[in-house]
Amino acid sequence: MLKIACQEQLLPGETLQDKWEFAQSAGYDGIELRGKGDLHFRDRLPELRKALADGVVMPTVCVEMLHFFGAFDDALRRDAIEQMKSQLSVIGELGGLGAQTPASYGMFSRRLPPFEPPRSAERDREVLLEGLTELGEHARKEGVTLFLEPLNRYEDHMVNRLAQAADLIREVGLDSVRIGIDSYHMNIEEADPPAAILEAGPLIGHAQVSDSNRFQPGAGHLEWAAWLSALDATGYAGYLAVECRLTGDPVEAVRSIPSFLRRVAG
Amino acid sequence: MTTFAETTATAPCDSLRRSATQVLLGNWTGAATVPSRALYPHQWSWDSAFIAVGLRHVSPRRAQRELETLLSAQWGDGRIPHIVFNPSVPDGAYFPGPGFWRSAVAGRAAGASAFIQTSGIIQPPVHALAAWLVHAADPAESRRRGFLPRVYPRLAAWHRYLGGARDLGGGGLASVVHPWEPGLDNSPCWDAALARIEPAPFGSFARTDLHHSSAADRPTDLDYARYVRLAATYRDHGYDDARTPHAFAIEDPSFNALLIASEHALADIAETIGADAGPHRRRAEAATAALVGRLWDPVDEIFHARDLVTGAAIAGHSVSGLIPLVVPGLPAAIAKALARTLHGPRFGLGRVHLVPSYDLTAPEFDGNRYWRGPSWFNTAWLIHRGLAAHGEEEAAGLLREQFLTLAHRSEFAEYLEPHSGDARGILRFSWTAALALDLLQTSVAQGVAR
Repeated sequence: MLKIACQEQLLPGETLQDKWEFAQSAGYDGIELRGKGDLHFRDRLPELRKALADGVVMPTVCVEMLHFFGAFDDALRRDAIEQMKSQLSVIGELGGLGAQTPASYGMFSRRLPPFEPPRSAERDREVLLEGLTELGEHARKEGVTLFLEPLNRYEDHMVNRLAQAADLIREVGLDSVRIGIDSYHMNIEEADPPAAILEAGPLIGHAQVSDSNRFQPGAGHLEWAAWLSALDATGYAGYLAVECRLTGDPVEAVRSIPSFLRRVAG
Repeated sequence: MTTFAETTATAPCDSLRRSATQVLLGNWTGAATVPSRALYPHQWSWDSAFIAVGLRHVSPRRAQRELETLLSAQWGDGRIPHIVFNPSVPDGAYFPGPGFWRSAVAGRAAGASAFIQTSGIIQPPVHALAAWLVHAADPAESRRRGFLPRVYPRLAAWHRYLGGARDLGGGGLASVVHPWEPGLDNSPCWDAALARIEPAPFGSFARTDLHHSSAADRPTDLDYARYVRLAATYRDHGYDDARTPHAFAIEDPSFNALLIASEHALADIAETIGADAGPHRRRAEAATAALVGRLWDPVDEIFHARDLVTGAAIAGHSVSGLIPLVVPGLPAAIAKALARTLHGPRFGLGRVHLVPSYDLTAPEFDGNRYWRGPSWFNTAWLIHRGLAAHGEEEAAGLLREQFLTLAHRSEFAEYLEPHSGDARGILRFSWTAALALDLLQTSVAQGVAR
C-alpha cells in the first residue's frame, strides 16, 4: 500500500493541525516538513512537538536553504553541515525517518556558462564524501537517515543520477545515508527511470514525486505506472513525498494527487 | 511451502510480483521487451504478445508500446514477422540474423519495411487477444492514446493475411510453412515432415543459441540445418506464399486456435471503436468449424496437426492439440474431452509439472529438449484460460497454483523438465514473468473475464 506525504507549504490551512486535517481527508498519510536555515527548523520545535502530540504524522524534512554541504565556500559548507545536523536531530526527536538534501542547488551547472566549475571533480568528490560521512554519522547517532537527492544538470553539477549517489553512498559505507530520489530530476537525467530505480534498489531511502513539468503528479507525462511498479519491486516501504508546483486550482490540485497515484499504482 | 492459493496480497505473492516486475522492467529496451537479455536480444512476435499481457499490470502504456512497436514492423502484405531486429545489436549476435533473412530486399515485393530489419516467417497470432487485454487493463489510458483505433487496422490486416495467402489447404485454416512458425520449434510432430527436407550444408551457418544454453536442451544440429534450408528457400522465393514450393506446410491446431481467439478479440475491439464486428465474428465461427472439421480426432480426443504435403493427420500428441480449449464457443463435448486428455497418461495434469509439450508416453518424448517434452509457461497460461472458460475450475486452479509456484521457484525459467519441475533453457525469461504477473492478478473465479 502506498504511503503518500505532502510537503507542508502545499497544504491549505494556517497550522500543521489544520493542514493535517485537510491532508488526511485528501488521502495523505503524512506531511513532509521544510527545514529553513539559521536553525529556524530547530526553533520550530515547540510548534512541531505540539503537532506531534495532536497526532500529525511528520516522517521527513526536506531542506529549504540556498547553500548546501557541497558548497564551494568553506564557511557556507560548514554552516550547511551544521544546519543539516540540527535538522536530523529535530526530525529524530519527532520520531521521523530522516532529512533530505542535495549536494548543492543553484550553485553551478556544467550546461550553463562558464561551463567549467571553479573546483576540480576530484575535490568535489572529497568534499561530498567528507560531508556525507559527517552527516551520516550524526544521523546514525540520532537514529535517522540522511537522504542524498540527485538533482538535474541545470541545478547541480555534482550528483545528477541515482548511480552517482549510489557510488558515493557505497564509499561512505553508512546505512544512515541513502538516496532520496525525485521523479522530476530522474525524468531529465535517467535513460530509463524504472531501470535506474531497480539498479539503485535497497539504497533508495526516500522518494519525492512531481511530474515531468514539476507540476503535481498527473499534470505531466511521466510514466507513473512503471515508475511506481519499479519502486514497489525494490521492496521500498517509505513514503512518496509530494514536492511540486501546482497547476489549476491549488487546493483541488493537491487534493487530486493521492487518488491519482493510487490509481496508476494499480 | 510457498503457496499462491490465495490471490490476496500475501508475502509469497508480494515476492513473486516484485521479482516478476523486475524481470519485465529489466528486459525493457526503450520501446519493447527482449525475451531474454542473454539468448534473445531482439523483439519476438508472440513473445511480445504474451509479454504485453503481463506488462499491462506493470505499465499499461508500456504494454501498448510493446505491441505498437511490433506492429510498426508489419509488412505490406499484413504479415507480422517473427523477429524484429534491434539495429543496435551486432548482426552476429543471433542466428539467423538480419544478414540471413535480408527482409528489406528479399521481402520487398511482400511489402517488407525498407529500414526495419525483420525475419520473413511468422509466429502464432496472439496479438489481437493481447491488444484487447491490454486495453482492458486501463481503458482510459488506452482511449487517451488512441490505442485501439491505431492497432485495429493493422491487426485486421494480419488476420486477412493469415486467412488469405496462408490458407494453403483451402479449407479455411491458416498454414505454417516452417517449424518455427507454430512456436513449437522442434516438436516431434514435425519430425516426419522435416525428414523430407534436405539439410543445409553444415558449414554454411553458425548457431549462436548454444553460447547461452545447454546443447541437450536445444534443437539438434540436424534440425537446425533443415530449419535453415526451409527458411532460405522461402527467402529465395521472395517470401511469396503462392510462389514458394512449400516442402513443409502444416495446419497446426494451436496456431489456428489462437487465430480464432484473436478473431473474437478483434470483434470486441471493432465494437469498442465503432467498427463492424460482424465479419470478425463470422470468420471466427467459420474457422472454429474448420478447426473441428479438419483437425479434431474424436478417438484420440485431441486435435492433430495436418500435413498438407501428404494430406494426412500427424499422429503425435502435442500440447498444441490441447490449446483449442482457448477457443470461445468450442463445443462443450470437445472441451470436456480435451480436459480428459489433459488428465490422462499422455499429459498427466497434477502428476507432473504444468503441461508437457509432448506425450509423456511416447518414445520421442524428451523432458529436457525444448518442445519435445518440457513444460512451457505460455501453453500452461493458455490452457488455464481455456479450462476456466469451460467451467473446469478445479483443474484451472491446480494449474494456476503450479504455475505461480514453479515460475517463482525456477526464477522464471524458459521451460521445465516436467517430471522434476527443474528449470531448463534460460532464466528470467520475459513471458514466464509476464504471465505469472497476469495469473497473480486473475483469480480462478474471475476466470477469463479480465
